[in-house]
Amino acid sequence: MSLVYPNGVRALDNVSLEIGKGEFIFLVGHSGTGKSSLLRLLYREMAPSNGQIIVDGIRVDRLARGRIPALRRRLGVVFQDYKLLSDKTVWENVAFALQVTGAHTRDVQRQVPRALDLVGLAHKSRMFPNELSGGEQQRTAIARALVNNPKLLLCDEPSGNLDPANTTEIMELLRRINLKGTTVVVATHNQAVVDRMRRRVVRLDGGRVITDEERGYYFLGLGQDQILSG
Amino acid sequence: MDWGRIRFFLGEVQRNFTRNAGMQITAIGTVAVTIVMLGVFLYARSALIAAESGVFSQIEISVYADPAATVAQEAVIRTALAQDPRILSVSFIPKREGLAQMRRLMKGQIDTSLLTENPLPDKFRVRVREAQEVPAVAGSIARLPHVQNVEYGREVVGRLLQLATVMRPVGIAVIVLFLLVAGIIISNTIRLTVFARRREISIMQLVGATNMYIRMPFICEGLLAGVAGTAIAVGALALARASLVPKIAAALPWLPTNTVAVDLSTLVLELFAVGAAVGALASWIAVGRYLRA
Repeated sequence: MSLVYPNGVRALDNVSLEIGKGEFIFLVGHSGTGKSSLLRLLYREMAPSNGQIIVDGIRVDRLARGRIPALRRRLGVVFQDYKLLSDKTVWENVAFALQVTGAHTRDVQRQVPRALDLVGLAHKSRMFPNELSGGEQQRTAIARALVNNPKLLLCDEPSGNLDPANTTEIMELLRRINLKGTTVVVATHNQAVVDRMRRRVVRLDGGRVITDEERGYYFLGLGQDQILSG
Repeated sequence: MDWGRIRFFLGEVQRNFTRNAGMQITAIGTVAVTIVMLGVFLYARSALIAAESGVFSQIEISVYADPAATVAQEAVIRTALAQDPRILSVSFIPKREGLAQMRRLMKGQIDTSLLTENPLPDKFRVRVREAQEVPAVAGSIARLPHVQNVEYGREVVGRLLQLATVMRPVGIAVIVLFLLVAGIIISNTIRLTVFARRREISIMQLVGATNMYIRMPFICEGLLAGVAGTAIAVGALALARASLVPKIAAALPWLPTNTVAVDLSTLVLELFAVGAAVGALASWIAVGRYLRA
């Protein structure tokens, strides 16, 4: 599968990748290597120039415009900048994802507290985003992404704006979410996170997958080195 | 009914509507002006149509006898009229009765008690079998002796209708132009709201809200602007009608405008439909552009 931007830049070049159900996978690489582009293809913010994309049995590359919302409801997306609404409380931000997809009030009443419990923010549900720490804001965003019970959670630099302590907290949360069966894809260039988690690492460079390791490190070859030396 | 959902939705609409109140007022004002013009145009048109059909169904010729004519001379006129096969009926209105009629008609507008003598001539009201024959009949009556004047409203109505045919394309063009302006202003207003809410919209898209759902509050906002403008316009039109129509009817008493014939409820409904449609369509276009981008 490839993605060529209208300006001729090949963001992704013949990328072939399979992510299994319940996996936890890191996409690593320098800025501009196509990590975010790959995620955008998965939630159909963009369509590939050629090739196939299949998410949970849905041919995303061929998805008709009107079917995109249905796809988006089956996955959650988390960003570096949280994308919270500052004039809504934590509770309202999380509920928003359900309300705008036409959920019944009783489902909102049931699901929102559950999602807030999961991320540990039930006690701050009445606060506004700017009254929260960065980590708490990101946890709110994760709660919003999870409130629909998606099978797939996409995270684009989730710890990009966070200090190490908050980063650890978010990663621990993502690990717990993964343990409950949700597939988690994290695009990051945070070395510490990748090295501590020891999960599958897909390394991109210049729009190509250059390595795909089962229990990888951030830097290429670190794993082998350790095996050799240990 | 899921009240929670309805409350959430109405909250969104209300937030949109109050976000740029100034622009909203401009939009409503433009709609109001446009609808007033449209209302006047449609009202005048249906009044004229009513007048036209009224003229044809109850067309009659007023034959005024020479004020100096004697009773015997008037009897000659009456006989001549009765013998004409084209004439359906003739009724004689002596001048005393004519004055009484005029007093009734002009009640409260002209102080008829100031009249020291009756200025009206005796009059025959002639009804013709076929409306097309009216001009010919009127012509032959005018040639009868002791007839001072023959009148039938047809010519004036005809001239008015002629005027209407000239005015119609101009009126339609002006109204279309104004509807366009109103649409553009509403569209811009909505686009400002859309712009102010682009963050929310992008999040809605992200979590899987349908474009229809995202559009809905904005469509409602446009609809609200259209309906509010129309309401103001209809109020203004109602006031104008209450004060102007009796004056027009008094100024043109021969015109069987019979204002009741204008179906006001249909007219008001039409105006509201146009106002709402302009508002909804304009915002549909405004949001559509954004959603596709």
